[in-house]
Amino acid sequence: MFTNLTKLDLKDKPCLSEAGSPKLCMKALPGEGAERSCAYDGARVVLMPITDVAHLVHGPIACAGNSWDNRGARSSGSQLFRRGLTTDIMENDVIYGGEKKLKAAILEIAQRHHPKAIFVYATCVSSLIGDDVNKTCEEAQKELTIPVIPVNCPGFLGDKNIGNRIAGEVLFERVIGSGDVSKEKIPLSINLIGEYNIAGDIWGIIPDLKNLGITLQTAITGDAKFDDLRSAHRASLNVLICSKSLTNLVRKMEIQYGIPFIEGSFYGIHDTSETLVKIATALGDADLLARTLVYVQKREDETRKTIASYKKVLEGKQAILFTGGVKTWSMVSTLAELGINILAGGTQNSTPEDFQRMKALMDPTAQIIEDTSSAGFLKIIAEKKPDLIVAGGKTKYLAHKTRTPFLDINHGRKLPYAGYEGMIKFAETLSRTVLSPVWGHLRREFPPKEGEQDD
Amino acid sequence: MTETRHYQGNPQKNSPALGATLAYLGVNGLLALLHGSQGCSSFIRLQLSRHYKEPIPLNSTALLEDSVIFGGWEHLKKGIAVAADKYKPQIIGVMSSGLTETYGDDMVSALASLRLERPDLNDMPVVLASTPDYIGSMQEGYQRTVEALVTTLAGHQIKTSNQYASMSTARSNEDPALSIALLPGCHLTPGDVDELKEIVMEFGFNPITVPDLSISLDGHAELEAAPVVQGGTLLEDFQRLPKCRACLSFGLSMEKAGDILKQTYNIPHYNFPSLTGLTATDTFILTLAKLSGKAVPEKILRQRSRLLDTLADFHDRLGGLKVAVALEMDLLYSLASSLVEVGAEITVALAASGAGIHRLSLPIPIEVGDLETLEERAGQSTLIIANSNGRQAAGLLKLPHLRAGLPVFDRAGYPQKRWIGYEGTQQFLFDTLNSVS
Repeated sequence: MFTNLTKLDLKDKPCLSEAGSPKLCMKALPGEGAERSCAYDGARVVLMPITDVAHLVHGPIACAGNSWDNRGARSSGSQLFRRGLTTDIMENDVIYGGEKKLKAAILEIAQRHHPKAIFVYATCVSSLIGDDVNKTCEEAQKELTIPVIPVNCPGFLGDKNIGNRIAGEVLFERVIGSGDVSKEKIPLSINLIGEYNIAGDIWGIIPDLKNLGITLQTAITGDAKFDDLRSAHRASLNVLICSKSLTNLVRKMEIQYGIPFIEGSFYGIHDTSETLVKIATALGDADLLARTLVYVQKREDETRKTIASYKKVLEGKQAILFTGGVKTWSMVSTLAELGINILAGGTQNSTPEDFQRMKALMDPTAQIIEDTSSAGFLKIIAEKKPDLIVAGGKTKYLAHKTRTPFLDINHGRKLPYAGYEGMIKFAETLSRTVLSPVWGHLRREFPPKEGEQDD
Repeated sequence: MTETRHYQGNPQKNSPALGATLAYLGVNGLLALLHGSQGCSSFIRLQLSRHYKEPIPLNSTALLEDSVIFGGWEHLKKGIAVAADKYKPQIIGVMSSGLTETYGDDMVSALASLRLERPDLNDMPVVLASTPDYIGSMQEGYQRTVEALVTTLAGHQIKTSNQYASMSTARSNEDPALSIALLPGCHLTPGDVDELKEIVMEFGFNPITVPDLSISLDGHAELEAAPVVQGGTLLEDFQRLPKCRACLSFGLSMEKAGDILKQTYNIPHYNFPSLTGLTATDTFILTLAKLSGKAVPEKILRQRSRLLDTLADFHDRLGGLKVAVALEMDLLYSLASSLVEVGAEITVALAASGAGIHRLSLPIPIEVGDLETLEERAGQSTLIIANSNGRQAAGLLKLPHLRAGLPVFDRAGYPQKRWIGYEGTQQFLFDTLNSVS
């Protein structure tokens, strides 16, 4: 029942030995303090923004209890995805097996919550006690009119990245193109792969797509409806947004459905324009491309005009960047746009490719953060004394202890930063952070040293 | 919970290992090591971090597929050794997870085996807490960990002189007759623990608090963040526990830890299931007066008098409250009983786990339940008291929602709240009334 890892194209790859590069060979030393989470976490990150389905975690309370409804993925419709559902495996389930309980739970949830589908997540404990989640889902589905989809993602399979890939496999095999759906392509339509609609990011991108006449079939997955996902194979183009962790999915969609894919990012003016132009080019419509070239120029000018005052504040500031996924490289150019210099950069949960791309974009003098534990992070802040830190929520409160301005760019944030509108929001928030009077108060000696009182 | 349901819908339970982490975070110089996969520790860090707005140092043994086949025994040994070498903590605190308890790793023998291989680590205290998920919720994990801390570290002789050793030499000269051991349950916020210590000091006692979140997770900007706990109970304080004049434990879940001290060192032990509410505080204050032989300080009498005046001023509004409460047991009992004694009606009382359910009583039966149950049953209430995850229920029912418990991530300042003692009770009643108006 375990996911075949060779299928995920991982095990045959040698570990990159380069310092600071994320390791895909799945080894973290016990006690070393690496904080790379687990495969279950990676799978839920990708699948849980499917909004009108139920997500049932077949595990002990630690898996769902500590984590449900904790991401900023937003929905324009159903809120069912935010519900925390778990079989809460107990001692008796460990002894007698949890399959019966799981099946009962699936049927009860179907009846109570009327989901479009139920995703069932296997965890470390359910796998260890030998519960056959595939079979149980199959049996439950026979009694229901909706798909019941197993996701075999026990945490011990590896880190978050592996979970992302498992989720991609599940979407390909069980969701996309399933059911009674047309195969006909929708002209000028795209899927955004790896866009999770954190803080409503998508809503900053859709207006530009609409203005250009491009249809968003679905984001995989962000503000995603199950039926739209099933028809994802009708899109004319896949745009891979967040890292390469879902590359397996777009490759398979290319082979099976003939959908070409491109990579892109909607963080920052430069990347947004580039991505829109790449989309127009790939869609192969000459008129669209001409429209797009004019449009992005106009939007760039507008946006640059709006952020000019923020740029004045931020220009020449020295930053440390620490993040994951596509933001790794996309943030480098976003910060550069604002005139911010990157002193050091590091990443967790990115692929080696994303890491390489970040490195190529950064100034050669910028340091790579090699030790990605909290201790390593603190050390680099102490050494570099940056003007600001741009990083994920995990490091937020750590950074505050160093009394350095900090901006959260990962899933815990409240504000959308994608697209041209997002860039304005980003610049505004970043300059508000840098300008905040609190950092001065934090750094002031108190009580003042002798003789300084009159200054 | 309804009998027919085979799942938790919007669980209010947190994992016991999260409770264990919380207890360990109140011990100075300790490195917490979760024996499990990296996800187990990631989720705990994230959950505690968004509640306390603090970095949460928590390491893990990073178990992978091979450990499922061969067990995690060697990983645990390696994890302790690597953490000890890399971070040089004063104490290592280990907690188990659902994964390692399911394949039955024997932590005691792993530690013994490590000590044979690495004699240089013999003097480093290692606390082992068994916290599989099925024992309940945060409260149970915290409880077991405090028991393990007290059992392993009380009376501990410090053999090595290290960077921490000189931190409290002055305090060891204090009169043991004035020392008093405090065991706060996880229903008390760092702010509550601070208040508790202040009250005890009003009676001339020197409190030794285990664990002491009031000086580690109180959200202060003075210390640099570190991979080991900074602030909290000192190892020297554990050494002084056996000589304490008395032990006071708070929350029924802390009763056993207090009894361990009582039985091992012959210290009188008093348990206080609640510190919120007039009568609960009266009991506590009278005990302190008796133990100290002192009259109740003027300051405390004044606070009591203010609380009485508040009760009179707002008796009608308090009496009109119909409150649905879903919390971990000790907090559920503390807050609900303080509302009951001022005339409010408790409409629903849902505990995260069943511990103490037969010993703590409210006018209505306390049941074990999730927040989906709260949603089903709270319709006729005027207020919901639950952690931030109760927002879905409150939103659907269009009811005001007073945040309490853990996690509280969408309101400012919860960890700093003081809802115990006379003044704290007054504040709790104000917060309650203000959330319905």
